[in-house]
Amino acid sequence: MRRDFLKLCGLAGLGFACPGGLRSLSAATPEQAPYDGPFYMVFNASGGWDTTYLMDPKGVDGINRLYQQGDILTNGNHRFAPTAKHRDGGMSNEEFFGEFGSELLVLNGLDYSVNNHSPGQRYMATGKLDSLAYPTFAALVAACRGPACPLSFLTFGNYSATGNIVAMSRVPYLPSLQRIANADSIEGNLKSPYHDDFALSRIEEALAAEHASRPLLPRLPREERGENMLYAAQVNSKAMERITPHIPKDIPKERLSQQAEIALASFKAGVCVSANLSIGQFDSHANNDKDQMKLIPELLAGIAYVIRRAEQLGLREKLAVIVQSEMGRTPTYNAGNGKDHWSIGSIMFLGPGIKGNRVIGATDDRQFHVPLDPQMLMPDRENGIRVRPEHIHEALREFAGIADHPLSRKFPLGVTEKERLPGLWG
Amino acid sequence: MVTIDWVSGRRMAGAFIAAASLAANVPAQTPADMPPACPAEDGFFSTEVWSKVVEGHCLKCHRTGGDAEESKLVLIDPRRETDRSAQEIRRENRERLTKPATAMESGGSRLLLKATGKIKHEGEDPIAADSPEYRILEEFVRRASGSPAPTVAATPLAGAQPFFSGVVMADNRRLLRRVTLSLAGRLPTAAELAASPAEGEKGVPTSLLDAVMREDAFYDRLREGFNDIFLTLGYNDNAETVLSYDHFEKTRGWAEKFDLSHIADEKERQKARYKLYDDYRKALLGEPMKLIEHIVRNDRPFTEIVTADYIMVTPYSARGYGLYDEIKDRFKNAEDPFEYIPVRLKALIGRDKRDNQDSATGFYPHAGLLSTFQYLRRYPTTETNRNRQRSRVYFQHFLGVDVLELAARVSDAAAVSAKFEIPTMQASECVVCHKSLDPVAGLFQDYWRFEGVYGRRKEGWFTDMFPPGYEGENLPESERWRALQWLGERTAKDPRFAVAMVEHAYYLLTGRRVLLRPKDLADPLHDARFRAWQEQRATVDRIAASFAKSGFNFKTALKDWIASDFYRADGLATAADRPERRAELDDVGLMRLLSPEQLERKVAAVFGKPWGQLRDQMALLYGGIDSNEVTERAADPSGAMGAIQRILSNEVACKQTALDFTRPPAERLFFSEVQPTDVPGTSVETDERIRRTISHLHERILGRNDDPTSASVDRSYALLRNIVEDFKDRKGIDDRETYHCRRDLKGKENGNFKDPFYTVRAWRAVITFLLRQPEFLYE
Repeated sequence: MRRDFLKLCGLAGLGFACPGGLRSLSAATPEQAPYDGPFYMVFNASGGWDTTYLMDPKGVDGINRLYQQGDILTNGNHRFAPTAKHRDGGMSNEEFFGEFGSELLVLNGLDYSVNNHSPGQRYMATGKLDSLAYPTFAALVAACRGPACPLSFLTFGNYSATGNIVAMSRVPYLPSLQRIANADSIEGNLKSPYHDDFALSRIEEALAAEHASRPLLPRLPREERGENMLYAAQVNSKAMERITPHIPKDIPKERLSQQAEIALASFKAGVCVSANLSIGQFDSHANNDKDQMKLIPELLAGIAYVIRRAEQLGLREKLAVIVQSEMGRTPTYNAGNGKDHWSIGSIMFLGPGIKGNRVIGATDDRQFHVPLDPQMLMPDRENGIRVRPEHIHEALREFAGIADHPLSRKFPLGVTEKERLPGLWG
Repeated sequence: MVTIDWVSGRRMAGAFIAAASLAANVPAQTPADMPPACPAEDGFFSTEVWSKVVEGHCLKCHRTGGDAEESKLVLIDPRRETDRSAQEIRRENRERLTKPATAMESGGSRLLLKATGKIKHEGEDPIAADSPEYRILEEFVRRASGSPAPTVAATPLAGAQPFFSGVVMADNRRLLRRVTLSLAGRLPTAAELAASPAEGEKGVPTSLLDAVMREDAFYDRLREGFNDIFLTLGYNDNAETVLSYDHFEKTRGWAEKFDLSHIADEKERQKARYKLYDDYRKALLGEPMKLIEHIVRNDRPFTEIVTADYIMVTPYSARGYGLYDEIKDRFKNAEDPFEYIPVRLKALIGRDKRDNQDSATGFYPHAGLLSTFQYLRRYPTTETNRNRQRSRVYFQHFLGVDVLELAARVSDAAAVSAKFEIPTMQASECVVCHKSLDPVAGLFQDYWRFEGVYGRRKEGWFTDMFPPGYEGENLPESERWRALQWLGERTAKDPRFAVAMVEHAYYLLTGRRVLLRPKDLADPLHDARFRAWQEQRATVDRIAASFAKSGFNFKTALKDWIASDFYRADGLATAADRPERRAELDDVGLMRLLSPEQLERKVAAVFGKPWGQLRDQMALLYGGIDSNEVTERAADPSGAMGAIQRILSNEVACKQTALDFTRPPAERLFFSEVQPTDVPGTSVETDERIRRTISHLHERILGRNDDPTSASVDRSYALLRNIVEDFKDRKGIDDRETYHCRRDLKGKENGNFKDPFYTVRAWRAVITFLLRQPEFLYE
């Protein structure tokens, strides 16, 4: 049946018209093996984080009121701001770098290039500033790696465009997954199917035949896309039943941990490739230090929770974590003790294939960008480049092994060969 | 050969545009291109120079009110100019650009030197010398200076055929079903179908559309659709807190004190109070969208969404404002929590004198949605945001302008921030947006309480922002008390308002936004995408003109869209294989995944009863919105949504199939011609009735007119027959319908509903099968 189906698609010249290309159509056939990784989790510190209170400490010229330059701490090659005495809950920098520094890659001096939330989120999520059509990295990697997964791309907020190449899944609460896990049984009870097994098989056969007949008729591209997406969603939804055993009994209280549990359960069940996690309110125009000392520790605690739980679930060696924000905060405080938008900042990575204990790029003492030699990954004020989101995304695509995937090529980032960051991952 | 003059929307014959202008080459010309004033040259200017370069790169600043309004090059923005024809504006702009194009300086044309930054150019990054944009300007300069043409063969534009050539339009009956389901949540009636023959005059008769737009269900959909845009249901905190403590301290909590002593039982009394609160909150939340309903239902000019000198209140919400006693006699039923009537509020009186509202008339200066507490509360401000968020959504909602999309990347934003004392007023990179954004932010200055209500800023309005005003016109101090009315009046006159509302109408009907102008000239499919945008834009402009001419009757905009090829497009006559043609047609055709609310309405329309499960968490899981954190509906189904579709199809078929067989044949919705004893394959006559029944199911559930002998009916028939045949080979299967599917049937006998031949369960499988198909789940 699968062979005939593919043949029909091929005859109809579908190929690229299918979401995810022909690959996604072939994926939309029954009996798919669970997706087994790699998995990708993107943490978004929504609103704009103060990097000088995390991985790019300054402590000079009044940039930070909570510490001075001499208070800056180190762990291996990492330098970070001391927050143990100032944090309001969550996890201090001291604890975080102590536990994860050896695995952590930090890139400082990233030029977000804009000072506004909406374009900044779009740019950081997709690597493209001037287009609303590009998918986020999480969506792109999901479309390339696991188009047949029913929850291939999970999102909990922030910019989540898909470029129409994969469906976006929002799962607000874990229990809601339980309700839909066994869709062909009455109230999810496997002992009470709606249809006898032979009738259900006939329904699925009829649907496959119906779907296969459609490419024989000329259709508008939107019709093709919609029909293929729908068929794939329904066929792939059968895999949802795999998620039930992985839904934890206890749901954590913390907002990031709740998102993480949904994502990790979905990873574990082999129904998800990537997840976009988000916590907001970083936009500390008033009382910057108070807000950042609550939110940065909360973010770090969320990351730590994910990594520890991934370890328990046997996923840690397959999980890549990206931690980012859409902008930084100014080097000066405003009249309300807040800090406004700043277009220079940082990004962090952690996971298999990423060499840790490294800091690449820099800002100067006034928190301005220092150009970077993309080959040597060393500061080069004369001939270096401004590392922008497209450089990061180009590198991420390389890292995920999808840079040459037809879907990636459909959304070029325009990074020239000499501006690529070949050694970023170590 | 026909192409579209995008400015006027008229079709122009004879224009040759090079298809291969995609990357390296600009359109080549025939000798007929010369001299510059000929129609083809005009086409080159409008299609290439203006649309691909100037409009996107130059017009943001080089226009009246723009950051470069004092430079030597000031262009006319055709979207804001109403006094002159599009042709005149185009001619004038071409002449204004010709001057720098032909002015030669050391190194070449001044226009090219400026554009590439070789002569100092403030504003956004210059155009790269090897870019497609540069080559278009270079060609413009060549033409303007009368240089000889390069010898490149002319190639007609890929889309030289009419844009909708080969696109099959929905026939009238199909269109009617689409309209009634979309706008009224029901199937067309027999009378409507009779009045709308499949063949003959194209489109749904206006009288039928007018009738649909008088139905209450239409207004439910209208409010739902506009809430997707304005999101006023999504403000934080309890609904009654939208009435500020400073002004409504004594009245907003009326439900707490409302006399319910006539209910003796304490629990019942508490329950009644919960309901009272619930209805009160719903009434308050509903006010902004009820304003839209009021305007449309009464054929009032849609400009009232920014100018209405009233709000809509119910007996319950009126109590919150403290004006119930004053207006109670105006309600038809003062006990109805949801009967809305228009009222004017008096100027607000504060707990403290300083919170009293200035008003020259003694009334609250209503300005449609703009001044409703719900809208202000949904988009609050902060000390540092300074109403800029409100200004941004104002531009988006009422003028269709995404201000943040204008934010161009600059070479070093941090350096700009540090270099200027007030970058938003001094740095050209910032001024491009803030010159429009900040004056409008200033118009909201007296709604400064951060929860969104009236209150002046103690320190006065900010002086390090462009002063309050609108697109270059400052707000007179005497108008400050009614600043939002002043804004509304200007908005209503701005040509962009009509365009934005027509774009909203498109969203209501299709569930998606209009196309954005493609920017990437290096994209091999740019010209195809550009043509798609251009064609849609011409339709938007045409409908906007008609909308304005109708006195801004919103129903006109809906009707014009429904009559348009964009709404009627329903398929292709022949496959579109060329990538260029596929790119042109990429967004054509409705094919909209139904929202949770629409899907429930469709189930109700087809089966007489909604499924009832697509609410709360399940609705969010099915791609719905909560108007607060989740504000964009899912456009494509995920696996989770696929699972919900399976549950829905199983459950609805389960509850409806046996039920229909329990009705007298003449009253059945689906099975009037067959009985459970009719086994497929037993006689020709039986099979004919079965096939007619399937054909009827296809029509009712899928909206397809499939002949009983068609291949599609064959597949449904095969499903039915195969299941019945499979049953014969099975042993130990109950001769009754599944308990879950029969337990709600009325009557003792039906509670034990017999299905000895398995035909009822096989019909249930057929309905399940149909409910999972795109024709049911998409619009």
